[in-house]
Amino acid sequence: MVSQFSGVLQLTDLDDFITPSQECVKPVKVEKKQGRSVAKIQIEDDGSYFQVKQDGGKQKLEKAKITLNDCLACSGCITSAESVLITQQSHEEIYRVLRNNKQAGVAEQKVVVVSVSPQSRASLAARYGLSSSEAGRRLTAFFKGLGVHHVFDTSFSRTFSLLESQREFVERFHRKEQDKQALPMLASACPGWICYAEKTHGEFILPYVSSTRSPQQMMGSLVKGFFAGQQGLNPQQIYHVTVMPCYDKKLEASRPDFYLEEADTREVDCVITSGEVVKMLEEEKVLLSDVEPAPLDTMFSSVCGDELLGHAGSGSGGYLHHVFTHAARQLFGEEVKELTYKTLKNKDFQEVTLERDGVVVLRFAATYGFRNIQNLVQKLKRGKSPYHFVEVMACPSGCLNGGGQVKPLPEQNNKELLQQVEDLYKEERPLVPEEDQHVAELYQSWLQSVGEERARELLHTQYHAVDKATNGLLVKW
Amino acid sequence: NKFNAHPDSRCWYVAWNPKGTLLASCGGDRAIRIWGREGDSWECKTLLQDGHQRTVRKVAWSPCGNYLASASFDATTCIWKKKNDDFECLTVLEGHENEVKCVAWAPSGNLLATCSRDKSVWIWEVDEENENEYECVSVVNSHTQDVKHVVWHPTQELLASCSYDNNVCVYKEEDDDWECRATLEGHTSTVWGLTFDPSGQRLASCSDDCTVKIWKECQPEEGTDVAWKCVCTLSGFHGRTVYDIAWCPLTGALATACGDDGVRVFKEDETADPDQPAFSLSAHVPKAHTQDVNCIAWHPKEAGLLVSCSDNGEIAVWNYQSGV
Repeated sequence: MVSQFSGVLQLTDLDDFITPSQECVKPVKVEKKQGRSVAKIQIEDDGSYFQVKQDGGKQKLEKAKITLNDCLACSGCITSAESVLITQQSHEEIYRVLRNNKQAGVAEQKVVVVSVSPQSRASLAARYGLSSSEAGRRLTAFFKGLGVHHVFDTSFSRTFSLLESQREFVERFHRKEQDKQALPMLASACPGWICYAEKTHGEFILPYVSSTRSPQQMMGSLVKGFFAGQQGLNPQQIYHVTVMPCYDKKLEASRPDFYLEEADTREVDCVITSGEVVKMLEEEKVLLSDVEPAPLDTMFSSVCGDELLGHAGSGSGGYLHHVFTHAARQLFGEEVKELTYKTLKNKDFQEVTLERDGVVVLRFAATYGFRNIQNLVQKLKRGKSPYHFVEVMACPSGCLNGGGQVKPLPEQNNKELLQQVEDLYKEERPLVPEEDQHVAELYQSWLQSVGEERARELLHTQYHAVDKATNGLLVKW
Repeated sequence: NKFNAHPDSRCWYVAWNPKGTLLASCGGDRAIRIWGREGDSWECKTLLQDGHQRTVRKVAWSPCGNYLASASFDATTCIWKKKNDDFECLTVLEGHENEVKCVAWAPSGNLLATCSRDKSVWIWEVDEENENEYECVSVVNSHTQDVKHVVWHPTQELLASCSYDNNVCVYKEEDDDWECRATLEGHTSTVWGLTFDPSGQRLASCSDDCTVKIWKECQPEEGTDVAWKCVCTLSGFHGRTVYDIAWCPLTGALATACGDDGVRVFKEDETADPDQPAFSLSAHVPKAHTQDVNCIAWHPKEAGLLVSCSDNGEIAVWNYQSGV
């Protein structure tokens, strides 16, 4: 069985993803009552189970359920419980919510927001022969046609992630003499990497992991925090969908840290992949290229006219690029116009350095894929890591090659398709985060107004080491 | 010539060093023992007790003979360096999620392969300047179940693995990553062992389905990837699971270790068509041990010298004479 998560073998040539370990071994808690006789179980026509007690009375038995949170808390596997995710987060769920909206009274209606990632947009653009912005305009029209109210772009929320990462790095750099766990700072936008780090290396690695939220969860804060407040809505009245290049983002959305307790709602309700959007288009029997484009929503999107703007750097968010250029300027007064990437052991392991008088003062790396993450962590454990910052991604070739991206057509070659997606992604004109007026305004009007502590909650997150279950009974023989 | 190698425990594997002067064994007692010949008997020269926290499943000598790698159920692989009669643990390779089932050195001595119950095969590289620095080069997940064994081609950088999923996979390096280039299907149960023939043109596999299969690389019509075909199946010879198989680099004889406690040697029929080889049973010791035979290994220098080990903790040394 092939797993869809940053696991095994979606793209035939590139199968170096982080793997799920065993099948789900979550022991389900059962309410046990002592009884003398053997229980009789009757199965009704509708498939429900009833226990027939001695006195003839029937008691409905509850189905054993495993939730996403169980998955995250358990150390049996990272992401093997596909069936769980399929029921809780899928395009079917979105249809259900949209259907409900049509039938429900005003009080029960939800405001449906869809936030599209630039990687998904590029993947869909490649499939339908469009430019990235053209795909964005048509996706806006398509989703709104189904009943979605707003379509945003996570490049916008990514600006927050980049700015916060830049600041966090400088702050860590300043305390590196006192705090031996300040550096290297490890990027945290990739949930596949985070789940692996929490489960396999626990307390050792977590202090190095950046606390900055990923673009998906920044958008969660924006939509269910700022937007909700601005529109006079209870966060629960918003149904927030994100379109992502991988399945691991579904796990990220269901982390308890991203659950708003008071409002009893998640910051991101449903994550669908680029591939699932294709399914939706196919179900509606429409080609994205045939959809009449609609104007882009500008509230939480980086837009210039009818073009969407992106960021410089890698197809996985450009963390290395932005943290490096900012650090070079802030710490060493250097204006870096262009970064020179040096490929090390393999193409998924690259290095960038800043030299001052022949001495390397900043050494950054990008490590993608399981084998490189392994080597990074092992070196770190032995105290031999030479880096100040590492952009860590679970998927070889990064997010543009995520497990949820649109699959190549029978006549297409994997490598060629990936190159096409990369080219389309890079076509989006880059915006410099520090020069983004819209974002600066939000920092002023929203984040400053809620106070430092609350702002930190909205922009940063925490990680939790997962205890390894060493129970021999859980071992599959 | 039999002796108890791992008291009150299983002896899982035995391996000759490249010169043939030493025999390494490992077992369920978590120990590795190095044996040397003293006249007619075998003496334990070294005992490595504290390297692993669980069963040591396999051991492998580097091509130069100076290093020994041990694969353990404790999920680690230990690299030992030989220093006269003693061995020093240079480094411990971590990363597999559970029991490591096998370790093997590439003919160059620069690469190491390990495989595990976590279904993956890892390829490691030794740092040129630093003998105790090993880095992971690739992690390949071609099997869908527990991977039992990995073996390198005698001269090329080509790797083969076999699994509880009944298949054999063959790997090659492509660009900067290792990929599975061929999946050999045919066995109807777990494939436990693999061995290349002296030239590396053929691969023999042994299985829980009680057969041995011989595979040969062939060029398919379209000229795309190479394919491996099963050119011979030896069935009806083994009463139980065949746990290990070894192809003698000197004579071309094929030896097997079986769950029916027997050791067998097969000889290739000289007259057969090279694309349709035939083997006949040349020698058979029905009760080579009192329990399952786990491993069989030909001496690298002395033709006909064979060693086997068993669940009963014993190692047995045999002398095979082919007759003609």
